[in-house]
Amino acid sequence: MEFSYGNAAREMEVYGYDSVVKSHCRMCHGGCGVLVYVKDGRAVKVTGDPDCPINHGTLCPKGIASIQLAYHPDRLTYPVKRRGLKGSGEWERISWDEALETIAERILDYKERFGAESIVMGYGTGRDNEAAIYRFANLLGTPNVLTAGHFCYGPRIATSIITCGTNPIVDYENAPRCIMVWGNNIVISNPDEYKGENFSAALNKGAKLIAVDPRLTRIAARADVWLQLRPGTDAALALGMLHVIVNEDLYDEAFVRNHVYGWEPFVERVNEYPPDRVEAITWVPKEKIRQAARLFATTKPAAIQWGVAIEQQINCADNDRLLMALMGVTGNIDARGGQVLFQQPRIRNVGHFGAHRMLPDSQREKRLGGDRFRLAGNFSIINPKCVWDAILDEKPYPVKMLFFISSNPVMTRANARQVYQALEKVEFMAVSDFFLTPTAELADIVLPAATWLEMDYIGDFWKRHGYLLPRRKVIQVGECRSDHEMLNDLAHRVGQGEHWWDTFEQALDWILEPLRITWQEFQKMDYLRGEVTNQKYEVKGFSTPSRKFELYSTLLEQWGYDPLPQFREPLESPYSTPELYERFPYIVITGRRMPGFFHSENRQLPWMRELHRDPVVEIHPDAAAREGIREGDWIIIESPRGRVRQRAKLFPGIDPRVVSAEHAWWFPERNDSGHGWDESNINILTDNAYENCDPAMGATHIRTLLCRIYPENDTGGLL
Amino acid sequence: MKSYELYIDEYACWGCLACEAACKQEHVPRDGIRLIKVTEEWSHTTEGSLDFSFRVHVCRHCDDAPCIEACPVEAIIRREDGIIILKEEECSGCGACIDACPYDAIAFDAEQNMAQKCNLCYQRVDQDLLPACADNVCPAHCIYFGDPEEIRQRISAGAGIAEPVQSS
Repeated sequence: MEFSYGNAAREMEVYGYDSVVKSHCRMCHGGCGVLVYVKDGRAVKVTGDPDCPINHGTLCPKGIASIQLAYHPDRLTYPVKRRGLKGSGEWERISWDEALETIAERILDYKERFGAESIVMGYGTGRDNEAAIYRFANLLGTPNVLTAGHFCYGPRIATSIITCGTNPIVDYENAPRCIMVWGNNIVISNPDEYKGENFSAALNKGAKLIAVDPRLTRIAARADVWLQLRPGTDAALALGMLHVIVNEDLYDEAFVRNHVYGWEPFVERVNEYPPDRVEAITWVPKEKIRQAARLFATTKPAAIQWGVAIEQQINCADNDRLLMALMGVTGNIDARGGQVLFQQPRIRNVGHFGAHRMLPDSQREKRLGGDRFRLAGNFSIINPKCVWDAILDEKPYPVKMLFFISSNPVMTRANARQVYQALEKVEFMAVSDFFLTPTAELADIVLPAATWLEMDYIGDFWKRHGYLLPRRKVIQVGECRSDHEMLNDLAHRVGQGEHWWDTFEQALDWILEPLRITWQEFQKMDYLRGEVTNQKYEVKGFSTPSRKFELYSTLLEQWGYDPLPQFREPLESPYSTPELYERFPYIVITGRRMPGFFHSENRQLPWMRELHRDPVVEIHPDAAAREGIREGDWIIIESPRGRVRQRAKLFPGIDPRVVSAEHAWWFPERNDSGHGWDESNINILTDNAYENCDPAMGATHIRTLLCRIYPENDTGGLL
Repeated sequence: MKSYELYIDEYACWGCLACEAACKQEHVPRDGIRLIKVTEEWSHTTEGSLDFSFRVHVCRHCDDAPCIEACPVEAIIRREDGIIILKEEECSGCGACIDACPYDAIAFDAEQNMAQKCNLCYQRVDQDLLPACADNVCPAHCIYFGDPEEIRQRISAGAGIAEPVQSS
């Protein structure tokens, strides 16, 4: 008897499946290779693809639960239009033709009367549909595409392009000897390029581990050094580590001399952050800062696994730039086993497909908030409050129509009450999604979106590890359509037909054409990868204005910002608002990741909800005792802006001054159309004021705020 | 007859719960029944600092299985290959096995009034397929299945860890 991993042939025989399809999962921000087993026309089992270099046959719970998503009884499987008032929950089935004709008529009407900028397109984390949405918007002439890009991944792209030309990715395949995981829980979260498997394998090969996290995660517990920083002080901590590296001469002198722009002013800035000062800011003992800095700088190759937590802060762009500074000055940029500037195969890339050059300058100048958040504006990214304000106050011009494609901003953007108000007021809103979410419930028309199981596409088209993986259509559910196909159809109805295709497969052919292959040829492959070479800068420099690695950003300077990274104290904190801190004596951090969920998604999938039934706030046992809170109690978390309820979990791995709340909770099982959107939604508490955003990127500071906590029973039944 | 063991290297477990989902996909037990269950564990290191890890609760198919002794209706049996099977159709629902299990690895389905536990996917094993949780689903590669002696050799050799694909 012989066993082998992922024995698809034997699975087929034993279970009597009709076929097995290799595809590419999209239950999160990235993708893993999968095998989908089919019987009687239905997908019945999903397992990892052993041949995929991203996951080597492993998978996460979300990927396994894909079939529960595809065939969920509540899933929207045909287009609907709203019958009653907004939020009435009364919907009527309509045809695709009527749905798209109605949307097209509205688009053309608003464009005629108020200009294309009055129509805002949007997506959330993106379903690999980003490029198609930008293409549609740019050809329409609206500069307003509202995404999570102001505070998720967009900042990594924008800041890395201005610093070193592209996003540096950890080269897990060549075994980094030291990995610093900064504000990231790659083993259970939704990482962008490589997944937990690659990270895990690198550790098993003996890599040293440094964790920067306010919570004791398993990664932190396994780390050689754990830096438990005060939430929101990442930039100061990075500057403190750079202070050690610079002043102990631990940097790569040749790289700095030959390839860095602005070293001297950068060193001056770093010298403003000696370890004593950094300890006072970050609550991290200076000896630990030194220890981590030395370990990172002297172990080669080393890499930083970074993530979104550092971007949802007022220091967003500088946090990203400082981590890149750490990669750069230690000589780990574009080094084998370090942090590589990978290249895609030579296809027509997302920028090309997105048709950004087709947007007229006169329209680009109208980008909402473009004059305020100029780094974001230069990367076609906008801040959400600009849109809500334009709907509610009609300034600088009215926004009349929203079209959200796989996005649930009521749950996932700061100041949820303002978001809700804006969505209630906007004249017309279309949504494409799997379910009638709290956002979709406010729409006029909702389109049934296809899951990854129901589309052909080039997976990881916009990722930076250099891989492209075929996503092959396995099933058809109801009348659901992929967002790409839907936009391709709609484009013809609004006069963009000449720039689109008869079928979307032709678009895939067009993307692949420079490689001289078609979709039909590509979909027979496991994957394609661009050429991997290291230290490319030795030959051609970095793709920046100075051709150097810009620690001193010439572009930020040109756009009127401090060209050097700095630390800004969060606007609401024990130090910037001490009086408020007396009344709200805890720092609440928001949005730690949980296995099974992807932001506001998957609460209706039984296997996933069983793993985590209720929203949970972690509290140190000492703090809980002080507040009279017991394990499992429903408690109130109250910020100066509102209050929500979550269940207490006593968690010793957190500073007693800090509590950790979950984000994006709604309750699909509730039959009313609000689905409890404001009950446990942490964005009831967050602040979206422009001043509370990163000045260059427009990232809303939602990860740290002040709060008080108390048992729900103490409210006298107010909630 | 070959003997089988399911071994989980809890040090390497990240708590991602992929094994739980894989088990659900294979067996589709009732909501609330988790034949494999991962929980958080707090302790202190030898140096005295706080430690955090995961425990994986699943039937160990013990050599000296107290659940077999505890069952008054002989619904729990040991196969020659060491796999211990709880025959649900013969279960009386008394719960004695649950009390006897030192690993908190037996669940109770109140609606059907019967105990349920991991039967080590014997239906798969008998067909040369690995148990669902051990079929390379785990991103930490911390779940091992096979001959106990071979597992020990693989772990000491650092095997079972997927070799990354080399870039070229």
